Formats: sequence, structure tokens, C-alpha cells
Amino acid sequence: MGSFLHRHRGLTPYLLLAPGVLWLGIFFLIPLGFLAYEALQSGIFPDFKFTWEFSNFSDSLSGYHEQLVRSFFYAGIATVACLVLAYPLVYWIAFRAGPWRNLFLLFIVAPFFVTYLVRTLAWLNILADQGPVVGFLRDIHVLAPDGRLLATTFAVVSGITYNFFPFMALPIYVSLEQIDPRLLEAAKDLYSSSTQAFLRVTLPLSAPGIVAGTLLTFIPAAGDFINAALLGTPNQAMIGNVIQSKFLESLDYPSAAALSFILMGAILVALLVYARIVGTEKLTG
Amino acid sequence: MTDPRFNDVLTRRQLLRRVAVGGTVLTMPALLAACGGGSEAGGTTAAATGGGKPQLKDVLNFSNWELYIDTPDTLKAAGINKPTTLQQFTDKTGIKVNYYEDVNSNPEYFAKVQGPLSQGKGIDRDIFVSTDNDRFLGQYIDNKWVQKLDKSLIPNMKNLIDAQAHPPFDSNRDYSLPWFSGMDGIAWNEDATGPVSSVKQLLEDPELKGRVGVWNSMGDTLGLIMLENGDDPAKVTDESFDRALARVQQAVDSGQIRAFYGNNYAQPLSKGDLAASMAWSGDIFNLQSPKLTWILPETGGIIWTDNMVIPPGGDVPTASTYMNFVYDPTIAAQLALGAGYISSVKGVPEEAAKLNPKAAENTLVFPTDDMLSKVHQNDPAMLNNPDYIKRWESVQGH
Amino acid sequence: MTTAAETVALRARAGLGARAWRFVKRHTLTVYAFLVVAYLMLPIAVVILFSFNAPKGRFNYIWEGFTFKNWIHWNAVLGISGALETSIEVALVSTLVATALGTLMAMAIVRHQFTGRGGTNLLVFLPMSTPEIVLGASLLTLFLNATALFQLGFWTIFIAHVMFIISFVVVTVKARLIGFDRHLEEAAMDLGANELTTFRKVTLPLIAPAMLAAALLGFALSIDDFVITYLNAGATQTFPIFVWGIARVAVPPQVNVVASAIFLVAIAIGLGNVFSQYRAAKR
Repeated sequence: MGSFLHRHRGLTPYLLLAPGVLWLGIFFLIPLGFLAYEALQSGIFPDFKFTWEFSNFSDSLSGYHEQLVRSFFYAGIATVACLVLAYPLVYWIAFRAGPWRNLFLLFIVAPFFVTYLVRTLAWLNILADQGPVVGFLRDIHVLAPDGRLLATTFAVVSGITYNFFPFMALPIYVSLEQIDPRLLEAAKDLYSSSTQAFLRVTLPLSAPGIVAGTLLTFIPAAGDFINAALLGTPNQAMIGNVIQSKFLESLDYPSAAALSFILMGAILVALLVYARIVGTEKLTG
Repeated sequence: MTDPRFNDVLTRRQLLRRVAVGGTVLTMPALLAACGGGSEAGGTTAAATGGGKPQLKDVLNFSNWELYIDTPDTLKAAGINKPTTLQQFTDKTGIKVNYYEDVNSNPEYFAKVQGPLSQGKGIDRDIFVSTDNDRFLGQYIDNKWVQKLDKSLIPNMKNLIDAQAHPPFDSNRDYSLPWFSGMDGIAWNEDATGPVSSVKQLLEDPELKGRVGVWNSMGDTLGLIMLENGDDPAKVTDESFDRALARVQQAVDSGQIRAFYGNNYAQPLSKGDLAASMAWSGDIFNLQSPKLTWILPETGGIIWTDNMVIPPGGDVPTASTYMNFVYDPTIAAQLALGAGYISSVKGVPEEAAKLNPKAAENTLVFPTDDMLSKVHQNDPAMLNNPDYIKRWESVQGH
Repeated sequence: MTTAAETVALRARAGLGARAWRFVKRHTLTVYAFLVVAYLMLPIAVVILFSFNAPKGRFNYIWEGFTFKNWIHWNAVLGISGALETSIEVALVSTLVATALGTLMAMAIVRHQFTGRGGTNLLVFLPMSTPEIVLGASLLTLFLNATALFQLGFWTIFIAHVMFIISFVVVTVKARLIGFDRHLEEAAMDLGANELTTFRKVTLPLIAPAMLAAALLGFALSIDDFVITYLNAGATQTFPIFVWGIARVAVPPQVNVVASAIFLVAIAIGLGNVFSQYRAAKR
């Protein structure tokens, strides 16, 4: 067998790729094809007919652009919040934690080991209207006497931030950790303050991590629906809630499929804009 | 769009004749079996002798809502010192029941099972339950995605109360039988607010802003609102729908409504995150919390019924035998007291009084005639109208 | 005109101020780090705490009293053990298959130049950049259109999980392979080993850590997945689906128990890894 592979060197990559590509082809690409087919259907469950119904796209866009914009807004804020919260933490882990760095990395990943739903439900307990946190905030007048944290935009965005935190933190850590320590020493020698050294050397070198983290956080956050469902009011509904409701409650598959493509398209556009801003080399690599 | 089934009404004579015939068919094989010495004691399967008494399986798979059956804890709380009805069924017939509490919402359950059901394939269940004030029960039956009951094995069907004998979705009761009914009303948490006695107060009182819950199901929420508007929820017109929906939209926009809930309003209401909510009679009964009070609004409430149906692949004789068992008034009474919902079986209030006189006085489980006169059913046409459905999803934000 | 003594005293005080500032600067970051970690751990602490609660009623949000009963009778809630079992089985099987397929793909991408390399990279990247709801819904569409071949249940969940785990495996193993020293393999072949033996005895052991890391990541993703599984599970229940269902009414303490148990096992493995690396670092 070894000599067969040796003689057919050119085949090797294709043979290696075949099973995985086949799997993704059948169970990722073809379903997207079916979804596209469905997006051009019309009718009422269970009688759908293929009618090149492009109006599904325009109708969905006009009907739900509010939720779409809102999703990107929430995902954007959450991504920035994750970045601001995570960066100092992983900086500390990479440069100050010494032998304990793996322990702290474990702390970052740990929330992931508690089921997504269970940890979001825990926030419902912690931030309850009659609970200690809200009570305290009311006492120190950060919240109005009848103010609340749950069922607000704040709660939804906070939930998204909390749930996607590791996706931002870990890529940044990886790129910080890979920085050659000699570069850091040189920076310290060159620049008068450590702040300068950070801004001129460390930060730019960690840029690939920041880019990766931003993408890994923003993209799933834009399509999330659980945080909005559990922590928000109808006025916080995101595009993910609309898609879920159309698939599972109104059973309006054509609209749901059209909305799915609109969401993917919007994410792609955002990606392209982002790539233009940060430079494409940082994205691939 | 008149449904021809609305015209199909059994006369009393026809009904009696059918029951008589059914009864005979049932007793004959039993006689033959006794003569021939067929069935084993405590039989797992009935011997298929002569008159064609069907073989029963030894396992029944039953999908139901949560907290919808008597359990050792609830029986203890109700002061009933007997095994659960499921246990009694197994003791009596030898058939083991695998009881699954995996029906969480009518649309979700439908989405889960419509794939196999539409192909005539089974879902590994003999019975599941669906509510009549959602459009799915009608769809299961209309599309023939459920099997016909074997009424010959359900003589106790004669105990079905008259009000449930000819529902619009199954006028002959060929496919379904009621499990429990419940009433839609309003409940409030006295730690969080004073009494909330009307839908108007619920939707418009600024004191309650952001602490009000309504349901995510159209029939329940809009039904209550229509009644307060003076409209009939059983005969919905575009105008009455618009009027009711507008009030909901207004309450959403003003931030009055915290969220649209399924069964999950009970915890926020208990916690105080919700001060008041539209609520189901049985939920509040089961919570047994002194802080929570449930009332039927003066303008009226909605009554809905969950129905048992048999999916393809389910064993009709076994399922029918179980249905017959729960239509025995004593069993039905124990179920009602143990689950806290309203039974559709005749004679249940009297049997319940025998089991526990105090518990039988609870009007949430045994509503008075006055209450019953104030509750209405939903219009199936409204539930199936695609435009209404779309607008109902919109008002919820999606 | 200051005396020398006064100048020294002045400088000492300035030194004190500067030292104090440096102390604050140095430790602010540490304090911040600990605060963030506390924030991350807070809900988990609540989950674990309330797994020991003895609620009087149906709801588990008020502390009523400590008990071990929930842990002893973790199985008392109908359906919880079945759901947990299904979750673990699906995770094991799908992780195995995805790791194998993904590693093969990573090897092909990193070590060979071939036409379609860019396309393959794109194909791997796309599932990671598609929202879960779209992944799940499109797969459901496939299954609903081919019900003769696919019955919604354990195997459709398995298929879905392999599909979204492969990308993560490829990315993880690729990163390791890129820094891989080919000379070791060449040396082995010079010494007479054929390609298969080289792969078995040299390559595989060296990329094993990356495969393990990818497998662990895949396992975690599979056990925690809700959206994609929810849409494709039919009547089967995994643990997250079970939680979603039961949260419609009330979450019993046993759910906290199972979630805590999964967490503690994962943490134990993680801690074991941390300490072995700590000892290795000290050596």
C-alpha cells in the first residue's frame, strides 16, 4: 500500500480530503442548497410549491429589518465589551501569571463546561428583580426604586457578552503568547513608558488575535436567540428569534429560509467591510 | 367556509346503539375466553380466541405535558392514599407505561413530529396529547396523521361529558378523547401588587409596567382580550381580531408586557419578576402558594382541552385500553385531584368527594356552573388563519 | 535654599509617592484579572450552590436548606438520565469521527499543494461563520426532504455534530502541523521505514497532542450544543434539549447536579493537565 501511495503521490491529498469534504459537502453544502430552494417557495404549510418567489427576500427584509439591525447592534456592542473586558485579563495571564497561566486559562474556559442554557438561567436568578444584586443597585441609586436589570437590552447584551467571552479571550491569548519576548524587551528599551511600549509593539503584534476573536464572537452572536428569548422583552427580539419562530412556530419555511440567507449575506458584507478595514492578510493566516 | 363536520351530530339514539353494540363485542370474546380457558392470569397479552379480542402490547408509550398527571407527591398533598393511576393501570392490565413528559409546546411538538407523521411513520409513541385551542390538533386529525380509536375497547367513553361529545375538530370522537381541561384567567403575586381583576388592568395599569405576562398562544391571550372587548372568541371576525391585537401591540410598545410566555410564567410570577400574569387554573392550583391568587375575569375566560391521540405506529388496542381505564370515574377523579386540572368524565366531582371531601371543594379543579357559564372556547378558524398567525408572531417581536 | 538633608528627605518622599503609584499600577491589573475571573465564575458558583438546595416547592431560586439528596437521587427526574446518556454517547461518537476526518483534512491542506486548496480552506471556514440557527435549519431541511434515508433522532444529531466539529478540528490540528518538523519524518524514511510506518510511529505520536486538544474541544462543543441539536433531534433528547424543555415549567435541582457534575469532571481533567504542565515547567 505504501508503494501505491508513493507512485500516486498526486492522489494523496485528495484521498485524505475525501471523507471530510464529502461529509461537509453532503451535510453542509447540500442542505444550504435545499434551503435556497425553500427560500424560493411559496404557500402555506404543508403545501409549499416552488415558484421562484424572490419576493420572500424583499418581504422578509422589509418586515424584519428592525430585528436584523438590532442583532448587529447587540452583537457589535457585545463584541466590543468582550474585547475591552478580555484584553487586560489575557494580557495579565500572558505576562504576569507565570506558572499559573494555564489555571487561569481554565477559568476562562470553565463557564463553557456548564450547559449554555443552565448558565444563562443562572443569570436569571442572580439578576432577579427581587434578588440581592438589583436590591443593592437600587439602594445605591444606580437603579430607580422600581428599576430592573432583567428584561432589558442591558440584560440581553450582557448575556451575549458573558456567553461568548472565551471566543474573544482565547485567540487574543494565543497571539499574545506567541510574541517573541525579545521584541518586548527591545520595546522597553526603545520607549520611555510601558504604555508606549504596549501601544507601539504589543498591541499591533496581538492584532491577528484581536481580529480572530472579533470574528469568532461577532458572527455567532449576531445569530443568537437564546439570550434575547430568556433575558429580554419582545422589544429586544433578534433576527435569530424571528428565524426560530418561523421555522418552529409559524412553520413558514420559505420566509425562514429567506431570512437565513439574508442573515448570512449581512454577515458576509460585514466581514468584507471588516477585512477592508483591517487588511485581508490578518484574516487568513 | 363551513366545515361539513359541524353538521354531523349524533342523535341520542344513535349514540346509545353504538355503545350497546360496542359493549357486546367486548363481552363476547371474554365469554369465549372464559369457556375455552384462554387468557393467563394477570395476562400480559390477551389470548386471541374466537371473537377476535385483540392482542395487547405489554408496554405503552405515552407523551404528555409536564406536571399533568398524579404523582406520589401530589397524591399525598391531596390526601389520597392510593398508588398512582399509572401504577394502578399496570397492576390491572400488566401493561407497563413509559410516561414521557416531552410535550412542552404545541407548535414545537408539531415541528418535532410532523416529519415522520406526514410520512405515516411512527414516533415510538402510542399516545400523545395536543391542545384544542391551538391549530395543531385540528391539523393532526384533518391530515389523518393520527389513527382512529378502537371504541369497542373504550366502553367508558359513555362517561364523556356532553359538552365534549362533539368538538368541531373531531365531531364523532373518532380520533381523540379529552385528557384534561383548564381555564384561562389572571393570577397575581400579592407581594408584588394588589389584586389584578381585569384584563384592562393587566394591560394598562402603569403600576404594573414591565411586570406583566401574557401567553404566546393566540387563542389564549386574544381570547381573554376579546371577551373584555365584548367580542365572541368562538366567532372571530377581522374587526374583533384587529381590536384585540391592537391592545396587545399597545401593551408591548409601552413596555407593559414583559414577555410572551408558555408554561414558564409560573416561576417569574412566584419570584416576583412578574407582578401579574394571564395564568392557567391548574398551574396556580398546583403551586399551592398562599401568595398567588387566580381569578376568572368578570368578562369571562377561555376553556381549553388537551386531547389524547394515537400516532401512526402506535398500538391502537393498547392505547384504547388505557383511554378506557382513565375514563373510569374513580380513576378520573384521582387524576383530577392529583394533577389539579378539570376532568371531562361524568361523575368525577362525586367520586372526588369520596376520595377527599375538602379537596373536592376546590373550584379550580371542579368549577361551579356559574364559572362554566363564563368560559368560552376559541374559534378554530382564527387559529388556522395564516394572516392572523403572521400578525400574532409580529406582535411578539418575531 | 534647601540643605542636603532636606533634599534627601524630599527625594525620599517623592520616591515613596512614585513607589506607591508603581505599586498601584502593578497590582491594578492583577486585581482586575481576579475581578473578571470572579465575574466569569459567578453563575457557575450559583449553579453549583443551588444543586445542594432543598427547595420546598417546585422552583429552585430561594435558598431553603442544604442537602445531598439531589446528588444522591440525581436520577429522580424523569428523562434526565436518558438525556445525559444520549448527550455523552453522541459526543463520544461524533468527536471520534470528526477528529479522524478533520485530522486527515488538516494533513492534506498543510502538507500538499493541490488545486482546490483555497476552496477547501473556504469550505472549512464556512460552517464556523454560519450562524447556528442556519446550520441547524438547513440540515433539518435536508432530513425532512429525505425521510426515507434519515429519521430524526440519534443519528441525525450525530451527523450534525460531526459536521460542525470538523472545522474546529481542522483549524486546531492545522496550527500544530504548520510548526511541524518534517525532518523527523525524512529521517525515519531514510532509516528504512515506509510511508505508513512513518506515519504510525513518527507523525501520529507527534500530532497526537493537537488531535487530543481538538478532540476535547469537539467533545465540549458537542455536549453543549443546543440550537443545531434542537432542530435535528426529532423526539430524542440530549441534555441541553432536556433543560430547555424542563425550563418551560421549572428547573429541578437535579439539572444543577448534572450540569455541575459535567463541569467538575471537565475541571478535574483540566486541573490535572494544568498541574502536570506546572510540574514540567518547574523541572
